Amino acid sequence: MHHRSSTLVRFAAGAGIAALVTACDAHPRTSSADSAAAASAASIIDDFGDTLSLGALPRRIVSLNPATTELFFALGAGERLVGRTHFDIYPVAAQAVPDLGNAIQPNVEAVLGARPDLVTLYASNSNRHAATRLRAAGVATLTLRIDHIADFRRSVGILGRVVGDTVRAHRVVDTVSGTLERVRATMAGTKRLSAFWKAWDSPVIAIGGGSFLSELVEIAGGRNIYGGDPRPAFDVTIEDVVRRDPDVVFAGPESGARMRAAPAWRALRAVREGRVLIIDTMLVGRPGVRLGEAAVSLARLLHPGSIP
Amino acid sequence: MTTRPGRAALWFVLAGAVLVAALGGLAIGPVRLTPVEVWNALGGRGDVTAVAIMRDIRAPRVVLAALVGAALAMSGAALQGTMRNPLAEPYLLGVSGGAAVGAVIAVAARAPFGFVPLGAFAGAVAAVLLVLAIARAGGRRPDPRVLLMAGVVVGAFANAVIMIALASAPADSVRNALWWMMGSVAGATWVQVGWFAVYGVTSAGALLLVAPEIDVLALGDDAAASLGVDVDRAGRRAYVIASLLAAATVATAGLVGFVGLVVPHLVRARAGRRHRGVIAAAGLAGAALLIAADLVARTLRTPSELPLGAVTALAGVPFFLIQLRRFR
Repeated sequence: MHHRSSTLVRFAAGAGIAALVTACDAHPRTSSADSAAAASAASIIDDFGDTLSLGALPRRIVSLNPATTELFFALGAGERLVGRTHFDIYPVAAQAVPDLGNAIQPNVEAVLGARPDLVTLYASNSNRHAATRLRAAGVATLTLRIDHIADFRRSVGILGRVVGDTVRAHRVVDTVSGTLERVRATMAGTKRLSAFWKAWDSPVIAIGGGSFLSELVEIAGGRNIYGGDPRPAFDVTIEDVVRRDPDVVFAGPESGARMRAAPAWRALRAVREGRVLIIDTMLVGRPGVRLGEAAVSLARLLHPGSIP
Repeated sequence: MTTRPGRAALWFVLAGAVLVAALGGLAIGPVRLTPVEVWNALGGRGDVTAVAIMRDIRAPRVVLAALVGAALAMSGAALQGTMRNPLAEPYLLGVSGGAAVGAVIAVAARAPFGFVPLGAFAGAVAAVLLVLAIARAGGRRPDPRVLLMAGVVVGAFANAVIMIALASAPADSVRNALWWMMGSVAGATWVQVGWFAVYGVTSAGALLLVAPEIDVLALGDDAAASLGVDVDRAGRRAYVIASLLAAATVATAGLVGFVGLVVPHLVRARAGRRHRGVIAAAGLAGAALLIAADLVARTLRTPSELPLGAVTALAGVPFFLIQLRRFR
């Protein structure tokens, strides 16, 4: 490749990862759930293997992950946030928290400038450097990898201990799990439809089995055609999607409209037969407190009338 | 064009290569189709899905790859002759940098989906004009070396602008721009092919028309001037046409490196000294190469694709080395 474009590839590779904050970038999962349980009650071992001591409750928190930002609000600790990423726009109250920029490879100086006593980060390898520097500067860090629904449950438990409200954390997990189980039970008897989840247009990016979205599709009575691939998301050719011949397609409003207009996508039976299901991208997209609602919305799309 | 027996064989081989590559590009893909199904589907008969795969996915891709490959190789062949420099190619002369700036600005400004190619084209044209202006400021008679240096300078400037734009753009648009810069004909549509064909055929025709002037320029400025050629004007004309041709490829398929640099060298030894022959032969070779590279890009790593620019470079380097050894 030409030298100029290769420089750009290197330059933007890090930033590109941030696109699917909760989905891209696969590295071996640490068995942090076990290690966290094994650790003493007064400390937590996070997904980078770092220890977070639970002394005084944190009062100035920077949350560099949209999913943990949502959770801090759900756990009643929203007013303790002094920084968030550019992508944290739910709940509405989060938008009043200062925007510190990227979630992956964050601006460490901007984060330190917010004078936090705790920083939560997404456990991507690209964030290791930032976590090390923050700890060197004397700021406690908590890195969590939240890709699957199980990660969400685990993270709520950890954050509940961090903010000192485990009762509320249990309630959040129970509410979400309860809704998910109800949807699963309701949809168990319906015809299982195969689904292609289109996350991006150019290139065409599919959601794979490594994402919570794939789990949501299963719970809602569907089957992800790329569910067998352990990666959270990856690019695919249109013709490969055609070969797998899904019954339905999940896409965002703009992405779905482009799909219906593109001649190449007419090769897909689901598109020809008008089964491009438009998801509510504000609701479905983050492994957060609205996972249950997200599953309900997907079930309604797959089988209209199945859930009142 | 000359008609010596060796040359006839060359045209035959090149046309054959384009044909074989095109047949391969049409017949091979993730969905397995028999030759009969391929033939029927191309004619609009049989299974609806097969017809759509052939007519709306594979055929436009093959045609677009052929046109883009031909345009890049022809542009490179013309520039190498005009500049009298074997390293001259459209990407070295500011076109790719300008196009990338235009595209990245379009992406960063959150312009609608279809505006990225327009931005790329505008950026490439701006870069060409800037290169000409810088070269002219460098002296009354800009020689090819000044033009070449102006291209490199504009490219470096463009690179800086791109980095700043990408650093301040939201992550999802960065990915869009990044993907576009790696080159691809994956999104080929007939509308795109139509626009490019009109534009490309016109520019390529113009390039073949000015080819005799390039022959004279290739002799050197003094020799050309003594033969009564307005060196300045002829050089600029060839440069502008070749660059605009390359700009259109960047707008349509992103940055596909190496074709403009290597393909002309592959055919130069056999196509003779006349640039009309060299440019035409480079066009055919470029078409065949890019159809084949696209086939590799979309089948080697299913279900995903490889970046087209990476495939052309990987395939181009060994070809280039073999050619180099033969010259020594």
